[in-house]
Amino acid sequence: MRQHSVKSAAIVGAALLVLAACGSNKTEGGGNNGGSCDTSKGTLTVGVVAPLSGNLSALGIGIKQSAELAVDEANQKCTVKGYKLTVSAQDDEANPAKGAQAATKLSTDPNVVGVVGTLNSSVAQTVQPILRDKKIPQVSPANTNPTLTRGNDFLTAPKRQFDNYFRVCATDDLQGPYAANYLVEKAGKKKIAIITDGKTYGAGLAAELSKQVAKKGGQIVGQETVGEKDTDFSGVIAKVKALAPDAVYYGGEYPAAGPLSKQMASAGLNVPLMGGDGIFDGKFIELGGKEGDLATSVGAPTESLATAKAFVDAYKKKFGKEDYAAYGAFSYDAANAIIGALAKTIDGAAWDESKRDSMLTNVGSYSGSGATGEVKFDQYGDSTNKVLTVYSVTSGKWKDVQTGEFTG
Amino acid sequence: MSVLLQQLANGVIQGALIALIALGYTMVYGIIQLINFAHGEVFMVASYGGLATFTLLPDDLKKSPAVALPLMFVGGIVVAVLVAVIMERFAYRPLRNAPRLAPLITALGVSVFLQEAVRVWYPNATSNLPYPKVFPEGSLSLGSVNIAWTGVLLVGLSVGLSVILQTYINKSRMGRAMRATAQDPDTAKLMGVNPDRVIVLTFIFGAVLAGVAGVMFGGYLNNINIDMGFQNGIFAFTAAVLGGVGSIRGAVIGAFIIGLIKTLAGQYMPGGTQYDYVWIFVVLILVLVFRPQGLFGEPERVRA
Amino acid sequence: MSTSTVSTPDTTTPVEKRSALAPLGKPFAAAGGVLGIVAALLPWVTFTLNDGNWPDKSTLQFFDAPFAVTGFRWHVLLLGVLILVAAFAPTPSKGRVVRALGWGLTLVSFVNAAYITVKGGGLGAITALDGVTAFGSIVGLVAGVLAILAGYGIGIEPVGEWKFKVSTPVAYLVLLVSFAAVLYAVAAMLTTGGVGTSNPYSGAIFLSFLGFAAGVLGALSGVGFIRWLSALSEQHRVFSVIVLAACALLLPFTDAGNEYWMTVAANIGIYAATAIGLNIVVGLAGLLDLGYVAFMGIGALVAANFSGAATAHFGITLPFPVAAVAAAIVAGIFGAIVGSPTLRVRGDYLAIVTLAFGEIFTRSAQNNIGGITNGSNAIPGIPPLSLFGNEFNKSITLGAVKLPAGVLYYILIVLLVAATMAVFANLKFSRIGRAWIAIREDEDAARAMGIRTGKMKILAFLIGATLAGLAGAVFAHKNGTVSYESFKFLESVTLLAAVILGGMGSIPGAVLGAALLFVLPEKLRDFEDYRLMIFGLALILIMRFRPVGLIPDAHRRAEMIERADENAEEAHVEAKKA
Repeated sequence: MRQHSVKSAAIVGAALLVLAACGSNKTEGGGNNGGSCDTSKGTLTVGVVAPLSGNLSALGIGIKQSAELAVDEANQKCTVKGYKLTVSAQDDEANPAKGAQAATKLSTDPNVVGVVGTLNSSVAQTVQPILRDKKIPQVSPANTNPTLTRGNDFLTAPKRQFDNYFRVCATDDLQGPYAANYLVEKAGKKKIAIITDGKTYGAGLAAELSKQVAKKGGQIVGQETVGEKDTDFSGVIAKVKALAPDAVYYGGEYPAAGPLSKQMASAGLNVPLMGGDGIFDGKFIELGGKEGDLATSVGAPTESLATAKAFVDAYKKKFGKEDYAAYGAFSYDAANAIIGALAKTIDGAAWDESKRDSMLTNVGSYSGSGATGEVKFDQYGDSTNKVLTVYSVTSGKWKDVQTGEFTG
Repeated sequence: MSVLLQQLANGVIQGALIALIALGYTMVYGIIQLINFAHGEVFMVASYGGLATFTLLPDDLKKSPAVALPLMFVGGIVVAVLVAVIMERFAYRPLRNAPRLAPLITALGVSVFLQEAVRVWYPNATSNLPYPKVFPEGSLSLGSVNIAWTGVLLVGLSVGLSVILQTYINKSRMGRAMRATAQDPDTAKLMGVNPDRVIVLTFIFGAVLAGVAGVMFGGYLNNINIDMGFQNGIFAFTAAVLGGVGSIRGAVIGAFIIGLIKTLAGQYMPGGTQYDYVWIFVVLILVLVFRPQGLFGEPERVRA
Repeated sequence: MSTSTVSTPDTTTPVEKRSALAPLGKPFAAAGGVLGIVAALLPWVTFTLNDGNWPDKSTLQFFDAPFAVTGFRWHVLLLGVLILVAAFAPTPSKGRVVRALGWGLTLVSFVNAAYITVKGGGLGAITALDGVTAFGSIVGLVAGVLAILAGYGIGIEPVGEWKFKVSTPVAYLVLLVSFAAVLYAVAAMLTTGGVGTSNPYSGAIFLSFLGFAAGVLGALSGVGFIRWLSALSEQHRVFSVIVLAACALLLPFTDAGNEYWMTVAANIGIYAATAIGLNIVVGLAGLLDLGYVAFMGIGALVAANFSGAATAHFGITLPFPVAAVAAAIVAGIFGAIVGSPTLRVRGDYLAIVTLAFGEIFTRSAQNNIGGITNGSNAIPGIPPLSLFGNEFNKSITLGAVKLPAGVLYYILIVLLVAATMAVFANLKFSRIGRAWIAIREDEDAARAMGIRTGKMKILAFLIGATLAGLAGAVFAHKNGTVSYESFKFLESVTLLAAVILGGMGSIPGAVLGAALLFVLPEKLRDFEDYRLMIFGLALILIMRFRPVGLIPDAHRRAEMIERADENAEEAHVEAKKA
């Protein structure tokens, strides 16, 4: 064994010498996006916490790259005087414990000015307090659970939970009922079975939906829970099938929803599956989402919005693909909110940690026109933009069928 | 009633899948008393092998299931056998005389390594991957009970292959050598049996079955992920223990029992499908503690 | 060489005969040493790389002071000089020492060469470009390989044994100096290459440093110093633990004393404490536990639920010490329950039973059993500990020195590790410990000798679980979040890997193993993806080539080698038969 390794080391050494004459693609100092801007004061960091690996990575990578796009544009436009901005993306694997580590890592860096993320409401719960302790603003492109901003009694006695937390998307107390209205009134599905993955997002969304279904004269015929990482749903499907529902509502994300829909069909349960923004991704269809399945998502369809076109074009130009996924435009807006507030905070001076208070105030009062429409925060940190869209799977693609605001 | 029948059918399909994997555990344990913990990962790797085969096919072949499907099976089996043979040669064989825990720890290492290798190196394997639609679609309806055609195929393959295996081991010359080695390796060696060959062959048989199972898993559930090996491996191991490790018939029957426990517990036990997994582990512990020789195994010798 | 009757059997390499190399030993060593020194003085990079200068003045542009070598070039210089010294001074086990130093030189050169070529876009970065040359790394590689060959030429003799005894004060002094050196090395290792993203080449600098450290350690071990030192520390156990703990407490005052490393070091400490607990079960009593991390999870859940976090199930907030004791007790009870099948089940079947218990824990926690785990949502917002109004996650000021945030956690965890080490050491040399070892060796014989094996085995599980529960309680407050995902099967495997890598039954081994398994991924962000894959591979390779681990327990070492010899003999006989 040893003899071999000695020999191979000798061979590697010899090979290096032989190859020594080869050329190199020497390039120096390439890829400096700062261009002609003054970046003499150094580099500031916009953090991103999102699932960059694992089942939800399609959504997470869309969030990360869209934030990078916003930062690149700011660097080119010299939005923040004297500084170059970078993105530091941390993987949370959609896992609260990993999210805590990621947030701790970002919060120990004095140059982090704000954080875009998280994707999952369950992860947000653990990230919020860590960033609050360091007064780092967190702007989420995707957390839809209402308790994150307004507390457990979000309808009756809303109370701001974290003064560093903002989001640019509409919440489940709008999304769930909006879906219920569509299911019961428009699609005429009266008997609805609910399956959730038991997480903050899925269970919360389903709870909001069921209240509204009852209000509109529909009926919840049953409720089941599956594991977020399950692959075989035959047991749950057999249970649900016996209840003869008109539709199944799934509170959760696409990695389970896709196979669930497909297995429903092959088990002879031929009813549409509906979900929230967590299943609104091309991957849902790839994994088995069938024709007629429905999803609600926050905001107007990105492609249709005039303000979004510039974002889509720039994204395509930078990354070559349109994989910004469900939350790309929101992430772009979230990053821009942080950058805009930072420009106002610094205003020609130098950054230091004592500026974090005014940074928080400036994010709160930020207002701009973004890829998802108007970006502005109310007194709880929620977005004032409450547009929702229902999509349906039509010839293998998501197609928008209804856009509007929830009006009761 | 129809729910019960449907769940029974689901359980049988589940059992058929587990049986294919359990045979690999039971044969290896029978011959070298090794809990080949990595066998579940062989099953997982096979599934990705089948998928990779499909991805590599030219487009016109992808559209004809009659060609694509057999090729996927071949691809899955080849990958599984390769992995199993390399694993036996380089990880287990050097440890054949080592203290008992060493091979088990090695098996753990192999298991983690394989799972991570697929996660890192197979494109997009960090998330669930959809399986191609070359399998028979639709389902067989018997009254109110629906059974997907892929499920029927799975049960057929599982039962058929175990019967063939049982016959081979009982009737063929090589099968006799395997049984002899299992009973007394030293005497078998004196009788002219080459133990290395027998052991490699055992690993290959297990891998072939795991390969079939891996591809069928994708076909039946439409999507695969890197955790499938660990989960189903544990089920299969439980089935092998329940049936009595070393016994082919025991493993198959054990597998069907486990499949039924899973679906019926999901339907009728408190906690529902969320805890079906837990009941299997409870069964595993109870069997190991109270009847370690399993339902069909020989009375226990000293296991240290 | 073939005639020497080996008194202390060589574990790392079978005695090899390299007669072809024998006459070349000294010349090669001389050439290697000289070339190493030359390599240190040569430039290493032909131009400034994309991400900035290669560290430590190694490009031609910055090569204005050839003798002001720093960083990795200083290491290369040092290794070259040491090779010369070792080759021509009377050194015990000379071949082994030269070979180890050669490996160090090779590794340092290779890491730097590889990074430079990759980051520079080709071999042009280290060879001729625009008439500029930078052959430093190639010369270094050649020097390293020569030294390795020289080692084989001189002959790989058994590790030197130091027979002389020293008086207690001298022993104390030696230990003190050695541990201080260890502290210095650890601080240097943590800070080398800077934190996270601040230095684009931190991965390379760190790996290069590791190569250097491995070379020097290998040489020290070859001389026999390490073995002598470990015997010495075993002899003065209490003193060693105290000095080690004191050294660890001094870490915040070194360069590594920033918030980032305090956080990382605290995490390592938690896992090290847990690994020591696992070492009782696996290393001493020989019971393989594959669900061990569940006990840490149970401890963390208990602490979280009594912490006053918003989602805690019980409305009671207990002070931390009480909660921690409760966590330890609950985990201990579960440990005894999980251990009870040991009365009937043995060996690998027992391992599977523990795995099943671990999976039951994970599944139940995921499903929020009884509302106490909060399922996939985890229990967030667990308040940090505080003492006299000082929150543990804030920075504190001691006189004129401002200590980084998280330092209090670090101190708490160092104390925790010291306590678990003390428990472990005392148990190991007590009646109970001897009983465990007897059970591990031969359970039937142990029972025949009157050891109540069942009781002893359950006791091992109970104590191991108690320690894990305690560590879990600290974990809950330190991280602020408790999620079932932190306590899954792979974490159990990671802990097991730490124990086995470090050396089963050995205390410093468990700490070293945990440190390696948790520092490496922090340092090597580039390779983070490969972390678990490397663990898997490490388990396989260790079982194959060094089943005793990096720092073997003396007793265990003897036993494994004896057994290996027996097996080899058996195989030999069998081969003859066949």
